Amino acid sequence: MKKLMLTVATLAMVACGGSDVTRTVSNDPFCQAVIPAVDAWLAEARASHPAPADDRYGGMAVVAAVGEIADGMNSAVARDYGATQHQQFINLMTLIDYDDVAFPRPYLAESWEVADDQTSITFRLRQDVFWHDGEQTDAHDVAFTYAAVTNPETGYANAAFWDHFVHGEAGVEVLDDFTVRIAMRPHADPMDPFRVLAILPEHLLGDVPLSELGRHPFGTQCPVGNGPFVFYSHEPQSRWVFEANPAFPEGLGGRPYLDRYVYRVIPEQTTLLTELLTGGVDVYIQPTPDQARMIIDDPDLDLVNFVGRDYVYVGWNARLPKLADARVRQAITMAIDRESVVEALLGGYGRVANSGVPPFHFAFDPDLQSPVSFDRERARALLTEAGWVDRDGDGVRENASGERLSITLKYNPNEIRQTIAELMQAQASEIGVEIIPTMTEWNTLVGQISSEARDFEGVVMGWQAEFRLDDMDLFHSERSDRMFAFSGTNNPEIDRLLEAISSTRGRDASRALWAEYQQEIMVEQPYTYLYFRDRLAGVNSRLSGVVMDARGEWVNARQWYIEPDVR
Amino acid sequence: MTRYVVGRLLTAIPLVWGIATLMFLLVHLAPGDPALQYITPGMDREVVEQVRANFGLDQPLHVQYGRWLGAMVTGDFGYSYSMARPVADVVANAFPNTLLLSGSALLLAFVIGIVLGTIQAVRQYSVTDSLLSVILLFFYSMPGFWLALMLVLSMSLFANAIWELPIWFPASGMTSADYDLMSPAGRVLDRIWHLVLPTSALSLALAAGIARFMRGSMLEVVRQDFIRTARAKGLPERVVIFRHALRNALTPIITLVGLYIPFLFSGTVFIETVFAWPGMGRTIVDAIGTRDYPLIMAASFFFAITVVVANLIADTLYAVVDPRVRYD
Repeated sequence: MKKLMLTVATLAMVACGGSDVTRTVSNDPFCQAVIPAVDAWLAEARASHPAPADDRYGGMAVVAAVGEIADGMNSAVARDYGATQHQQFINLMTLIDYDDVAFPRPYLAESWEVADDQTSITFRLRQDVFWHDGEQTDAHDVAFTYAAVTNPETGYANAAFWDHFVHGEAGVEVLDDFTVRIAMRPHADPMDPFRVLAILPEHLLGDVPLSELGRHPFGTQCPVGNGPFVFYSHEPQSRWVFEANPAFPEGLGGRPYLDRYVYRVIPEQTTLLTELLTGGVDVYIQPTPDQARMIIDDPDLDLVNFVGRDYVYVGWNARLPKLADARVRQAITMAIDRESVVEALLGGYGRVANSGVPPFHFAFDPDLQSPVSFDRERARALLTEAGWVDRDGDGVRENASGERLSITLKYNPNEIRQTIAELMQAQASEIGVEIIPTMTEWNTLVGQISSEARDFEGVVMGWQAEFRLDDMDLFHSERSDRMFAFSGTNNPEIDRLLEAISSTRGRDASRALWAEYQQEIMVEQPYTYLYFRDRLAGVNSRLSGVVMDARGEWVNARQWYIEPDVR
Repeated sequence: MTRYVVGRLLTAIPLVWGIATLMFLLVHLAPGDPALQYITPGMDREVVEQVRANFGLDQPLHVQYGRWLGAMVTGDFGYSYSMARPVADVVANAFPNTLLLSGSALLLAFVIGIVLGTIQAVRQYSVTDSLLSVILLFFYSMPGFWLALMLVLSMSLFANAIWELPIWFPASGMTSADYDLMSPAGRVLDRIWHLVLPTSALSLALAAGIARFMRGSMLEVVRQDFIRTARAKGLPERVVIFRHALRNALTPIITLVGLYIPFLFSGTVFIETVFAWPGMGRTIVDAIGTRDYPLIMAASFFFAITVVVANLIADTLYAVVDPRVRYD
């Protein structure tokens, strides 16, 4: 009897406990209003746009990663990679996207024109794109989104995107319902921001005060997009569910093949690998390099890897007298065997970086000979030449006034960065430079390097490069008070090149400048550039048509398909 | 009794307020800045200031405290920056999930613990007793995190992919990805199927502890006079053990419930991470990592209340089970 009661109690708990609704719908009034509208529109769209007779339509794919899509679908405040990817390729639409060699091609905008004097871009929008609640996407949406993200009140994270654009409502003009003109000052690569910025619905968000846009339920509770997948539900820290948009424009490939796309959050990587190996998830975003072997060895799985956009470096504070001489910075870089660092830390899934220009980028110069490749003898000679000699025989060099060449290297708690700091310590000691690794909590560390006091000597950090490269805010001497211009670089040649690059139009014209800049950066060594990390993904081979490259893992999610026999 | 409970609840108010205030101070005085979670090279100081202002962090600490306390009293827990949704919403989503996990674990732990402890006591010094002791001590001394990973490896990965057993369990999540497309019965089964591994990982160590308690308690009871009387009356051993001894031996065990409830909530932190269970433990850890002040505050407030209530339940249960205890 007692056991029976226990069983009943367990079942009752299982059935009633937890969120035992099949779909998590927020009770926020905004969501309560838009979700039924989306459901109604989707039902109608399904009826009027039946899936074409093709075996590839149907099925569900599950993608999993360790992190939540923290900022959701609100492109005005989004900061994390997963969020921008889902905005660009899953739920929303950008004006343009890139082909596989990163040339702009039409997406929401069917065409565009850059004015001859380079002071404006006019976008002409497609007329067959609808928000998932039935409203048509038009020029007013673009104008609203642009005005919102260029207004400082919104707090758009990547404000540097809009450096050369006219901000706020003054910068955008609706010419007719499907034509919009954006004002700017002449500069290189003006199209890139429009690849990243997903357009938001003006009819839903137009009345929201900009400072409150970030906390609107649109972002994570009930986004209404216009992209290939319609938002279905989001359980925080657990999963996002999207369904195929049957009315996605034919001209852009029409309805996605998958019926349903699910993003799952699984914070523990061993569990994630297990789920991939047991078929619980189809795509594992960013397995660790030591898991890559197991994925390769499994006949049902493929390992996709491509050179990512993020690079890891050690930044030096050239404002300090002991690091002001470029020869000292060069010597330290030369003392580090960066090839072995990539091998040891990333299992070979990465590439030595010599500048912030990623290897897939048009500006990348593959013929560049690094003047700072691993060479301890030359490193020692350089230090001696710069006046740093071990005068007291303690193994650490001193300058003429007896100051030791001892550098504190800060890093945030992260296994890889700690290893980097320790490797640097061991290898620099070979040339008589003392490096003292110091762990500093992330927020504190960012506060220290970005503060006006620039309270650091060396720091292990990483940046994510965009397709439109611009090191102005990092290395231009006139911008040395910018938050992350912590290197304190002051080099007229670099200033000149950065200015020339940012005003030169066309890839062919700027390629030579870029080559010159990369050469100059290697001599200057504001950072010891370490590596570009490969992005890895484990993909179940039942999922076909997967393309992943520097544009992102989700770049062609709407063309992923599953053959009926493995659904 | 009612007076006692009300009195306890009233004294709990300043206690919870004190804990929450202390948390507020600790969290705000610790280094860190939620506006600097993500950084880009071109980031502007003004943008950071704006983000801070949008979060309400530009105000002096005492103003923030006043606002927070005022809002808290009216049940407004604020807005979580890291989850980009109201804190109340985050907690409402996560708390039932933790409750389900820890509730099942508690239940399972007590059932296993009581059964095994009783068996050991009845068969004191037998091979079964020694063997069970060894096994229980093994689970008792294993770190929860490691046990969880081993369960994932053996019951999910190896069982499915290598040994190809007919029964294996999913390594993560509360439900399958196509849960909403299943039949009602299928949904219940799907939920139980997903509960097996996390519940086991959480309850095995607890069960081992409870079994030790139960064994001791039972041994004490069976030596007492009324048990000898029962046996002397000629009652079958089964009746002696289950009707007379067990009931009395359970008294001290039941008070353990109250002790274990708060432990379970903190114990779920690791288990929820390993099994990707979207509960409170993970919520609070993530919130601390991202300096999500309102969420940390609300979550710790919740934990404080849970502990207070659990202690109250324990004390009350004690009175209910043992008629000799009176709170008047």
